[in-house]
Amino acid sequence: MSILSSGSFWAFVGVVAGIYTILALGLQVQFGFAGLLNFGQVAFMAIGAYTMAILVVKEGWSTWLAAPLAVVAAAAGGLFLGLFSLRLRADYFAIVTIAFSEIVRYVATNETSLTGGSQGTIALGPIGTASQYNGQWSRFEGRVQHAFGFSSSDATMLAIVWTVAVVLLALTWLAMRTPWGRVLRAIRDDEDAAASLGKNTFAYKLQALALGAALAGIAGLFYAWEFSFFSPDDFQPLLTFFAWMILLLGGLGRVWAVPVGATVFGFIFAGTRFLNFAPFTWFASDQRAYLRLIIVGLIILLLVLVRPQGLLGNKREMVLE
Amino acid sequence: MFLQLVANGLVTGSVYAIAAVGVSLVYGILRLVNFAYGDMMAFGALIAYGVDGPLHQSMIVAALAGMAATAALALALDVVLWKPLRARRAGFMSLFLASIGLALVLRQALLLAAGSQPRSYRVNPYRVFVLGSVRLSEQQLIAVAAAAATIVAVGLFLTLTTVGRVLRAMADDRALAAVAGIDVGRATRVAWLISGLLAGLAGVLAALVEYSFDPNFGFQLLLPVFAAVVLGGIGSAYGALAGGLALGVAQEVSTWSGFAGGVNPVYKPVVAFAVLAVALMIRPQGFFGQARVG
Amino acid sequence: MTPLLDVQDVVRTFGAVRAVDGASFAVEERSITGLIGPNGAGKSTLFATIAGSLKPDSGRIVFAGARIDGRAAYRVARAGVVRTYQAARVLTRMTVLDNLLLASTGHPGERLTGVLLRPRAASAHERRTLERAHEMLALVRLEAHTHEYAGTLSGGQRKLLDLARVLMLEPSLVLFDEPMAGVSPALRVELLEHILAVRRDRKITFLIVEHDLDFVMQAADRVVVMNEGRVIVVGTPEEARTNEEVVDAYLGKAH
Ligand SMILES: Nc1ncnc2c1ncn2[C@@H]1O[C@H](COP(=O)(O)OP(=O)(O)O)[C@@H](O)[C@H]1O
Ligand SMILES: [Mg+2]
Repeated sequence: MSILSSGSFWAFVGVVAGIYTILALGLQVQFGFAGLLNFGQVAFMAIGAYTMAILVVKEGWSTWLAAPLAVVAAAAGGLFLGLFSLRLRADYFAIVTIAFSEIVRYVATNETSLTGGSQGTIALGPIGTASQYNGQWSRFEGRVQHAFGFSSSDATMLAIVWTVAVVLLALTWLAMRTPWGRVLRAIRDDEDAAASLGKNTFAYKLQALALGAALAGIAGLFYAWEFSFFSPDDFQPLLTFFAWMILLLGGLGRVWAVPVGATVFGFIFAGTRFLNFAPFTWFASDQRAYLRLIIVGLIILLLVLVRPQGLLGNKREMVLE
Repeated sequence: MFLQLVANGLVTGSVYAIAAVGVSLVYGILRLVNFAYGDMMAFGALIAYGVDGPLHQSMIVAALAGMAATAALALALDVVLWKPLRARRAGFMSLFLASIGLALVLRQALLLAAGSQPRSYRVNPYRVFVLGSVRLSEQQLIAVAAAAATIVAVGLFLTLTTVGRVLRAMADDRALAAVAGIDVGRATRVAWLISGLLAGLAGVLAALVEYSFDPNFGFQLLLPVFAAVVLGGIGSAYGALAGGLALGVAQEVSTWSGFAGGVNPVYKPVVAFAVLAVALMIRPQGFFGQARVG
Repeated sequence: MTPLLDVQDVVRTFGAVRAVDGASFAVEERSITGLIGPNGAGKSTLFATIAGSLKPDSGRIVFAGARIDGRAAYRVARAGVVRTYQAARVLTRMTVLDNLLLASTGHPGERLTGVLLRPRAASAHERRTLERAHEMLALVRLEAHTHEYAGTLSGGQRKLLDLARVLMLEPSLVLFDEPMAGVSPALRVELLEHILAVRRDRKITFLIVEHDLDFVMQAADRVVVMNEGRVIVVGTPEEARTNEEVVDAYLGKAH
């Protein structure tokens, strides 16, 4: 049980929850406010992470230039996907978005010269040199740790991720209270009615998709910085489903429900590592990883069945239909 | 070479087609895009493996057992999951998300029960038949033959039996079908039964064709199957058949060197999506299906 | 004088059903034109086609000198043609006030660039919109429901909200699909007066589908009668009432 009292373990859980908060916030914008069934969110995370890593390692860019460009690339990915697919029926749209995220993953796996292929970013640089894309970030983190007197780099990362997450949450909350956000909610409610009030619904949906993608891109950056290397396998559709679970858990159409969902998710995910009592001890530790995902699946099922608006959602504004 | 690719494509396409019909049938009745279908296929393949390997039954018995077990699973899931969701009038989003949750549960349960190691049926992959310039393994031939038989069987079922006609009527217009006094519950169970049988069959055939498989393999087949379903016009059984075959052939033929040097075979799945994307741009409502109004 | 709206040989089919089958008529500026006909005559489909939510299979629709057939619905609305739905399409998961606030055109706050770059203009526009919204709410007697979700309103109240929303947009042509259905008789009189006043004070033209024939006869300058997708008569209310074809097609069957 010693790991439970380890600060660095809980800091790690907190960092992951923060990253998922940003990822799922993107879904909240897309689905919770604009009604778009995006099931390819992980693709934009991958685009963000890879764009930054490639620009830094291959092109020698500064991290502080590469990172914003990576977010722009993720948003551009959202625009591209939207131009193709936003006119489709909701069910086709959902399928096309998953397909898109799998295409991104296939390309990352197979375009070895661009992405390092299935080995991941370790192989980004020339053969024989383990490439590093997060040197500048680590130095920045070190300075923050020193300036604020954090006890460890884990604690520092926790503080940075959550600061960014809170800022993004606040900005999203504000955006949704503008007349722009009102139009988005109108489209979610009844797209035809919004169009007959003169709203260019396609443009709004495109913007929501791109903004949500940009948020996923930011999540991708932090993912990359938190783990010293990553590979296409880190961007399985499963991650998108985790984000959906967080969204459902927290609640639809409520910005502040997202961090709540992500934190609960973090505890479930970390907590299930400690199922070392019967009947869980019947299983080997690698089997317990399967159990953990079964639990995630069951929670999704339970939420859809019993509480489709999520824990904190407003049933009168947004329910899963 | 080209003919060989077409033949290989028909083999893959046969598996897609069978699965696509299974997905489409249920969609036609329940408006459910079943994300757990790939994992139901894996379930059938694994049950067949249990009967084929440890129990030393013939492959045909094993396949039938896999199909029966998957159909039973599908019917059981209807009772515990889909029926309650219908009762609360869940729409497309809820159903789709529930199927994602179910897919997670199913696949991880299979991994838990069977482990992640690859398996193969006790078949000889080296027995090859030569037809002109085309060489096909026994398993590939079986897959094509089974698909052809399925096409005929499903076609006859949908056109000749009363239940089949009901299913088609419901896929066309659910509201009308309900007004016409159709026993929706019974039609739903029949749809699940057939969908489950087809999932089991497609799983076993896919495992035969790919020779080695593990519990994850169903999910890898799912997206091409979805692409086939959409290509065929979701909810249309015949469209799904055509979509599956077309997609299988397109995937294989895209690697033909005479076709602009050929697509790198690792991108075969991407080809499926590209075909889907182009098709949807030309006809947003799917290729073979009817435009739905309202 | 060229008409404000000119519908020429419009056809719209649903599979084998020819919902609108070669309809032609014109609507003069600042007129109130009644569009009547038995159920299934194709009136709602014609409205949807004019408003751009449905594309016509063939035919032309000219509004203020420009063709609008085939344009996206939001562009038709911005050009000044606004419709209501037979079953009022209020935004049920938004408040009554929000429903009205959405009815403004050229709102800088509705664009992200406007929010970021012109926050003053956006909030000034929002204030004006808010004032107008409260005026409209008073007009249709929904003040008490200002902050309730529109989904809690009764059918008649939804009609009123829809009506208020449309008037607030200040379009040049309003397409009303059965505005009086479900509205209490007392309020009907007031709404009629309001519509007449709006036409007098602002340059708004009305095309109204309505089953309440008394209302049509009182309000309309001209009546267009549809049956089975076609326009069978265009004339004054009196002409329509006494026309034999109309009596057969409409009055004969419906009453
Ligand atoms: N979305 C639709 N799909 C199929 N048929 C439709 C649709 N909308 C209307 N129709 C058919 O078109 C015809 C005209 O309907 P409608 O325009 O609603 O008539 P009205 O408003 O005059 O009562 C009817 O036969 C109706 O059934
Ligand atoms: Mg009507």
